[in-house]
Amino acid sequence: MRACLVVSARFILGALVLFLGVFLAARPAHAQAGSLEEQTREIAKRLNCPTCAGRNLADCPTDTCAQWKGEIATQLKSGRTAAQVTEYFTASFGPGVLQEPPREGGYLLAWVFPVVVFAALIATAFYVMRKSSRRGMATGPAAVTTPADRYADELERQVREGE
Amino acid sequence: MKRLPPVVILAVGLVIGLLALFALGLAVAGQQGRRPEAGTPAPAFSLVLYDDHRAGLPKTISLADLRGKPVVLNFWASWCIPCRDEAPEFEAASRRYKNQVVFLGVNWLEIEAAALPYLKQQSITYANGFDTQQQVARAYRITGVPETFFIDRNGILRQIETRPLTGADLDTAIQELLK
Repeated sequence: MRACLVVSARFILGALVLFLGVFLAARPAHAQAGSLEEQTREIAKRLNCPTCAGRNLADCPTDTCAQWKGEIATQLKSGRTAAQVTEYFTASFGPGVLQEPPREGGYLLAWVFPVVVFAALIATAFYVMRKSSRRGMATGPAAVTTPADRYADELERQVREGE
Repeated sequence: MKRLPPVVILAVGLVIGLLALFALGLAVAGQQGRRPEAGTPAPAFSLVLYDDHRAGLPKTISLADLRGKPVVLNFWASWCIPCRDEAPEFEAASRRYKNQVVFLGVNWLEIEAAALPYLKQQSITYANGFDTQQQVARAYRITGVPETFFIDRNGILRQIETRPLTGADLDTAIQELLK
């Protein structure tokens, strides 16, 4: 039981470490590569359309989105980095403009909590399967009695008695 | 009865915790999501005015600063055709009721480069501002533009209009505020 708990705890911890590793490695890169249009599109893909639910800025043809994309291009042209442009939109219109919750502060909970719950569920499934397989091994021979088994047992008993 | 192993209790606890957080979030959002109603205190707000559109008001104005005067709060956007249609009516009314009523325009989700040319084109002289982080729009739960809120001198919301208004509409609503 104790060993199983340790394994489960290790599993959850391992999953968390793995998640954080991948999570940090996958932080959006703010590289300034490509044409102005490509850079604008890259930033726009990470922002929400302010007026259409669930649509990203890059793919939205509304007037407001056209304005915002124009503003992104203007700011890039003036020498601002992608991170600074994104920060401008967040500061002006709120963190709701971001396609993904920021990977900092209280927003981290939105990233970490589902992973913890998922890892906990996997660990529980692992624990239950391991426990039932042990129980199966402990009680297996007595529990499975087919006519062939009974015949073999009886034969063995009679042979032993004959000796 | 068999006791559940701690790891199962932990996992179930985590899932219940997540669901509780989710429910709490929905409850809080629902509470905040309730649209203000006529006859209730108007939600407090603070608005940063555009430099050339302050109409003698401070750069940052709050509803509390305007207590004692009726306020006409109008949300607009430059791409909104009905806003464009009602803009001259608001400008004319703001002149008619100068010194009696404060007109405040709130731009919705636009950058200055789009908002300022529109104000100039429409020859708007009453105060207009940028809604930083959509605080005012969220407080009033607006769902689109134009929307207009009429607030009396005691800070009570008297009328909400979610359609473009004519000069006659404005006169009627303002007369009620001035009673």
